[in-house]
Amino acid sequence: MLTREHGIAVYDGAVAHPDRLTRRQHGHYIDLAEKMLDIYRRGCGRVRRELHRDIHSLLEKIPDCPPRRADAFCKLLDEQSEYIKDKKGTAAQLRRQVYRAAASHHPLVQSKFELHDSLEPEVKLKISADIGESWDSIVRRFFIDIPDFQPLQFFAGYKSGNELLARYNVAQTQVALYDALAMTVWAKDDFKTILRYAKLAGLMHSIAQCDDGSYRFDLNGPASLLSHTTRYGIAMAKFIPGLLSCSQWRFEAKIRPKQWRRDLLLSLDSSAGLTSPVVAADEFDSDVESDFFTAWGPDPRDGWQLHRESRVLHQDQKVFIPDFTMTHVDGRHWLLEIIGFWTPEYLKQKQVALTRFQEYPILLAVDKTFQDHFVDYAPNIIAYKKRLKASDVLEFLRRTAS
Amino acid sequence: MTAPEAELRFDQGTLILTGWHPKAIDHVFPAGWWNWDHRISAWRTFACRYSDVTTLIEQRSVGLTSMKPHWQTVVWSKVSLPFLRSEQTDAIEAWQKSKRGVVVMPTGTGKTEVALRIIADQSTSTLVVAPIRDLMYQWHHRIQKSLDYDAGILGDGIHNVRALTVTTYESACIHMPNLGDRFQLLVFDECHHLPGGMRQDSARMSIAPFRLGLTATPERSDGNHRLYGELIGETVYRLSVQDVAGKTLAPYEVVRIPIHLSPEEQTRYEFLGKQLREFIYDKRQNTPTYDWQTLCSEANHDLHARQALIWFRARQAIEDRASEKLRILEDLFRLHVGSPILIFAGSNAMAREVSLRFLVPCLLSHCGKKERQDYLNGLRDGTYPALVANQVLDEGVDIPAVKVAIVIGGKSSSRQAQQRLGRILRKQGEEPAVLYEVVCRDTNEEMTSRKRRRNDAYTRTRHRRL
Repeated sequence: MLTREHGIAVYDGAVAHPDRLTRRQHGHYIDLAEKMLDIYRRGCGRVRRELHRDIHSLLEKIPDCPPRRADAFCKLLDEQSEYIKDKKGTAAQLRRQVYRAAASHHPLVQSKFELHDSLEPEVKLKISADIGESWDSIVRRFFIDIPDFQPLQFFAGYKSGNELLARYNVAQTQVALYDALAMTVWAKDDFKTILRYAKLAGLMHSIAQCDDGSYRFDLNGPASLLSHTTRYGIAMAKFIPGLLSCSQWRFEAKIRPKQWRRDLLLSLDSSAGLTSPVVAADEFDSDVESDFFTAWGPDPRDGWQLHRESRVLHQDQKVFIPDFTMTHVDGRHWLLEIIGFWTPEYLKQKQVALTRFQEYPILLAVDKTFQDHFVDYAPNIIAYKKRLKASDVLEFLRRTAS
Repeated sequence: MTAPEAELRFDQGTLILTGWHPKAIDHVFPAGWWNWDHRISAWRTFACRYSDVTTLIEQRSVGLTSMKPHWQTVVWSKVSLPFLRSEQTDAIEAWQKSKRGVVVMPTGTGKTEVALRIIADQSTSTLVVAPIRDLMYQWHHRIQKSLDYDAGILGDGIHNVRALTVTTYESACIHMPNLGDRFQLLVFDECHHLPGGMRQDSARMSIAPFRLGLTATPERSDGNHRLYGELIGETVYRLSVQDVAGKTLAPYEVVRIPIHLSPEEQTRYEFLGKQLREFIYDKRQNTPTYDWQTLCSEANHDLHARQALIWFRARQAIEDRASEKLRILEDLFRLHVGSPILIFAGSNAMAREVSLRFLVPCLLSHCGKKERQDYLNGLRDGTYPALVANQVLDEGVDIPAVKVAIVIGGKSSSRQAQQRLGRILRKQGEEPAVLYEVVCRDTNEEMTSRKRRRNDAYTRTRHRRL
């Protein structure tokens, strides 16, 4: 991720627009991005400071490229680079050796006033001879442990200039979120992925269902309730790549940049064209779920329509999203959870979740081999072998209706 | 769903109270102390209220399961602290009255000894928070020496938390949500850093009832020193430089040495200045309010403004790295042969340049723990004649033997100037301390120097040519 110092945003009234390079306005950047990649691809052996200078030289004549943008590109290119680090501390050893050798000659002067004065060039020559290395070579190695002077060893790079620009756009949105106080996501799909990434980022949530069946997730942190803190802004920025891998969402974040004394709004939606560096989660957790969904088909059966992961059950910070929701034309509904994966921890976790949300109409479809673990949930249980049949589920629904 | 049990617990830098009816909250606590957190169906407040909350609960004899703080009694195998001076014992007595508050004492008057005595007396889990890694290690060293205790370290890539731990403000802020119930005493060294932005969380997210702040320069330009009361406690003791100069502190003088740029540097400096002035003049023809901020903002999309910014930075680099500064350093080194010297540079590049020219150690942020210790110990014991740094040595670093400091660059901040002066004011014998300030004449540095000397400690500055 970029640092705050790389952030560029335009504040238009009460709305924040993080820097965004678009094909229409910034088409010329595609060529520049390729040239930047080229500088790094050919840059093995050159030190970081030289590479950064080349990137700045390339961009400083581009009128619409502020120096910060050039710095940001350097950072993104560095993120994909490996520099030779002085892990053994040879530079520190060399410095210590030189400083100690020079200490008895201090101060190194450029012209002698007194007999015992030590001339700078003479002392350097002597130290260089004692070490057995030319002074120029000593100087080159002297500060090699400083990041600026580390040589590039390997550049994994980006596939293309376009990918670098896409990464830049996401990174600028993330920087803008460093100053976020709170964030709200409205989503029509991928609830599980959204909540998983929010949890991974360490955010707390409040969940509410909207009239159209979509969900609203308010995300912030424990102390957000007590003060207007931007403490969780970095967590919100970390959450963004996960959100970008989902579909049909929009978010609004309230941000408070340091130099501004009022709150601004940052909003984005899934049609904005930002590309996630994270691979989208698999649609289904297992083949059993996938096969069942395919077998059921898109149309209602016996008046029952099947929806995938469309209902979020929540109690405080605990969330349970059953695999399917079945809604009948007459308004009845059942939730269906398929348990086809087996580890003791997983089963325990499911049992706890089912107990917590026992007031909901949940039908359990359990693999026959471990149905004994769920005897307490009878009669709302179907045991299946290898494959869950739609007919068995429909039979259960018919039975409960009668 | 059954009502949760009445319980008070620590959670990620906050306190959570469950099982309480709103009426009970109103009855026991002052209004606004607790916020209802619908996300967890419980009451929540900042951890720093722990002491007040538990006192009120006890006073009202309200039954609940209260959290057990994870602090413990610490027994020191040996306490070897020096005899304290009267102003130090006064400071300790003032703090002991409420076991909270800020002690303001000039650099070199033994703030660390005051804190070590308090830590030794309290014998409890303590977190010492310092502004930078070097000071964190210095605290570790002082604790080892005074209390014979190998303190835990949190920061610089180390996560070793013990009953007595040293850390930096950055690490304390990051880790307090997890460690806020581990310490009974917090010591904030150079506590003027605490009220800056999110760093406040290192005080707010801890339940520690005992808090000590130490500083020589409590005032902040953003006015946030008013938060000390809430975060640490009010100022309980204050001692000024004038009270102790020549007694507890070494007598000192500040000598300002004006220098000139070389003819080449001067020509280039003037050329860049002229370009810059003409640019600003042209701009002001159309926009009379055109200022520095507008220039920076225009540089984002205007090549001419960007060029003007490059001219400005080039001018700054000429001032910062003027060749005459190296010549003056040579003279001052000759003048003070045998006396350890600190050199404060205005940039890392200049610090490295001085280091390579005179082959004296250069302490920058990249230096590892061992290397830093080697340089600081080496300067103390005479292995190294001088040490050059940019900002690393500005605060707190304790080298009593150093009586000469040379400032060859820096900010206009009066606090930085006071802190840098403070490095040489520790009294050792009767030797007076001297701080040289080398300033390029007829450049912006003169203005910077004038601003930074706007404090009492810099009155009676002498101006001298070498």
